[in-house]
Amino acid sequence: MMSKVITGNEAVALGVKLSRVKVTGIYPITPQTYIIEELSEMKAKGELEAEIVRVESEHSAMAATFGAAVSGVRAYTATASQGLLYMHEMIWWVAGSRMPIVMTVGTRAVGAPWNIWNEHTDFMTERDSGWLMAFASTPQEAMDLTIQAFKITEDERVFLPMMVGMDGFILSHTKTRVYVPSQEEVDEFLPLRKQPYVLDPEDPVSMGNLFQPIDYMKFRESIHLAQINSKRVIEEIGKEYEKKINVLGNYSSLNESYKLDDADYAIVTMGAWSLDAMQAIDELRNEGLKVGLYRIRYVRPWDEEDIRKKLSNKDKVLVFDRSISFGRGGHLYLELKSTLPDIPIKGVISGLGGVSVGKDEMKFLIKKFAESNQVNEWFYPSEVEKVELRDPRHIK
Amino acid sequence: MSLGTRDILNKGRLLSGTSACPGCPENITMRLVSTALGKDAVFIVVAGCSSIIQGIGPNSVYNYPVLNIAFAAGPSAASGMARAFKMRGKKVKPVVWAGDGGTADIGFASLSGAAERNENILYICVDNEAYMNTGGHRSGSTPLGAKTPTTPAGKKENKKDLPLIMIAHHVPYVATASVGYPHDLMNKIAKAKDKDGFSYVQVLCPDPYGWLFDPSKTAELGKLAVQTCYWPLIEYNEGKLEISPESLHCLDIRTRKPVKEFLKMQGRYRNVPDETVKELEDYIDKMWIRFKELYEGKISI
Repeated sequence: MMSKVITGNEAVALGVKLSRVKVTGIYPITPQTYIIEELSEMKAKGELEAEIVRVESEHSAMAATFGAAVSGVRAYTATASQGLLYMHEMIWWVAGSRMPIVMTVGTRAVGAPWNIWNEHTDFMTERDSGWLMAFASTPQEAMDLTIQAFKITEDERVFLPMMVGMDGFILSHTKTRVYVPSQEEVDEFLPLRKQPYVLDPEDPVSMGNLFQPIDYMKFRESIHLAQINSKRVIEEIGKEYEKKINVLGNYSSLNESYKLDDADYAIVTMGAWSLDAMQAIDELRNEGLKVGLYRIRYVRPWDEEDIRKKLSNKDKVLVFDRSISFGRGGHLYLELKSTLPDIPIKGVISGLGGVSVGKDEMKFLIKKFAESNQVNEWFYPSEVEKVELRDPRHIK
Repeated sequence: MSLGTRDILNKGRLLSGTSACPGCPENITMRLVSTALGKDAVFIVVAGCSSIIQGIGPNSVYNYPVLNIAFAAGPSAASGMARAFKMRGKKVKPVVWAGDGGTADIGFASLSGAAERNENILYICVDNEAYMNTGGHRSGSTPLGAKTPTTPAGKKENKKDLPLIMIAHHVPYVATASVGYPHDLMNKIAKAKDKDGFSYVQVLCPDPYGWLFDPSKTAELGKLAVQTCYWPLIEYNEGKLEISPESLHCLDIRTRKPVKEFLKMQGRYRNVPDETVKELEDYIDKMWIRFKELYEGKISI
């Protein structure tokens, strides 16, 4: 293992190379991260032994990656924002085929209006598609989860695709120290590809045919059960990764806790701002407020059991969401509320479209919540409590 | 039909008992194509009648590997497959099988992209000139004047010139065929398969239910389309345009059968105004002037 100062994009590209990916379908336009440029560069230098299909849209990027995967090789792609929504149809096709594929999503806001900055709504809208969905909080984790994703998806108890999210710009474009494993270490961890079936004239099988309603429904149930069963596989593979590759990591559970055991109050976050939350918790603890963090690393599978175990003895829970299901609330808030029906839970939506929320804003919110419970659902940082929007209703 | 094809076809890779309608041209074409291809092929079947003709899973009448896939995804999925087979050192040809809607409309960007990259795939467009699987609605490949459920007064625009558009991509091989001429079709498929790069074959598939004719007349309509020069049989091979023998008579307007003979057999052209027929004839004349000039080397693409 060696350490390098690199961005999240570079870390993921290295993880993809170390996983010996054979084909990647890529589309470059602006919601895309520069992971694909990194891979192209590696290929040009002869460091990456993979076919790169430079397609004409994200729909095609996922289709090309899918085509490669069904033909028996390890396949990968990356996207974000509008691009992710554009490949939505193929995302379902891949999961419905139970085909192992790994994808990175450098999460970004979705238009209209145009906004290129960070937000999790693009990622969260795919949570019903059948894909496993992990979300990184550091470039290190983005790389580690990518390498683990190949092993998890190719486990016969799972055979589902997996996307790894990371905050656009905040993680994708910012440099930090990353421990990069050697090729030997990854080879030792990651075996040859396994998949449920391969398209090959030597053994003609047909995929994606028309099926009777009862069989279709059984397929749906099989995806549901594979999602649930994947929890154990993820823990197993996480532990193995800790032991064989990143001895500093903590991957033995799906989600992570910070100073949670003795806490009265808990906050729940996902992604890069979890680290700001941890700093806020340190400072609030010094002020005598017993608060702890539960960080969601896996949106799918959803670790209901662990969430109940860790949070059901708390007085109240505050959930931070960087995404919104319009008319209902933040996605994580809704998931937490249905998991913990007996605990007072509040949700706060912030950081949409790249709005900056840091340690001080988190401190302010947690304090207010602990003391009075008076937290607005929509939080705008700084002095501006309410932003006036010139929306269509005000146009005469 | 005694053309010496029956024995070969019975050894083909399409099993009996398909879910096709009587007289289905796609069924006939699939039998011819799969026979011509041999076994080193993988089919990518884009949403359409052919997703249904294979029967209800887990059974399938297509006796070769098939990936059924969403409308616009065929050429790109085939591209990924071609790359994967290359990485695995296997000589397998991915063959996309799509209707004219999937080709001319929703799948066109993906088709054009795969052609531009010269992916090692074969794309077959089974052109029945409408979205037949869902009710015969107008597509970009429906001809002028044809009545469909979405153009009840007759289509106002001409058919999209897909073969010429594909030739303009400068790919190694582009051909047209008709279900009425099985030998020509099979020869072209065999040639296309051997190309190391992108090849495109568009097969005219007269459809009894959308075109409204007796299901026993499919092959006859397929022949008439060629004899009246409504449908050209051409081949663009490594930069050179050839007119197939069955269509050579079309180079001279005096040796063509009147287009009306082709139109009068179809319910979709019932009561079509004379001026529309005239407009369609003009379109065909212009098409042949262009093909003639290309054939004689007076113009190039």
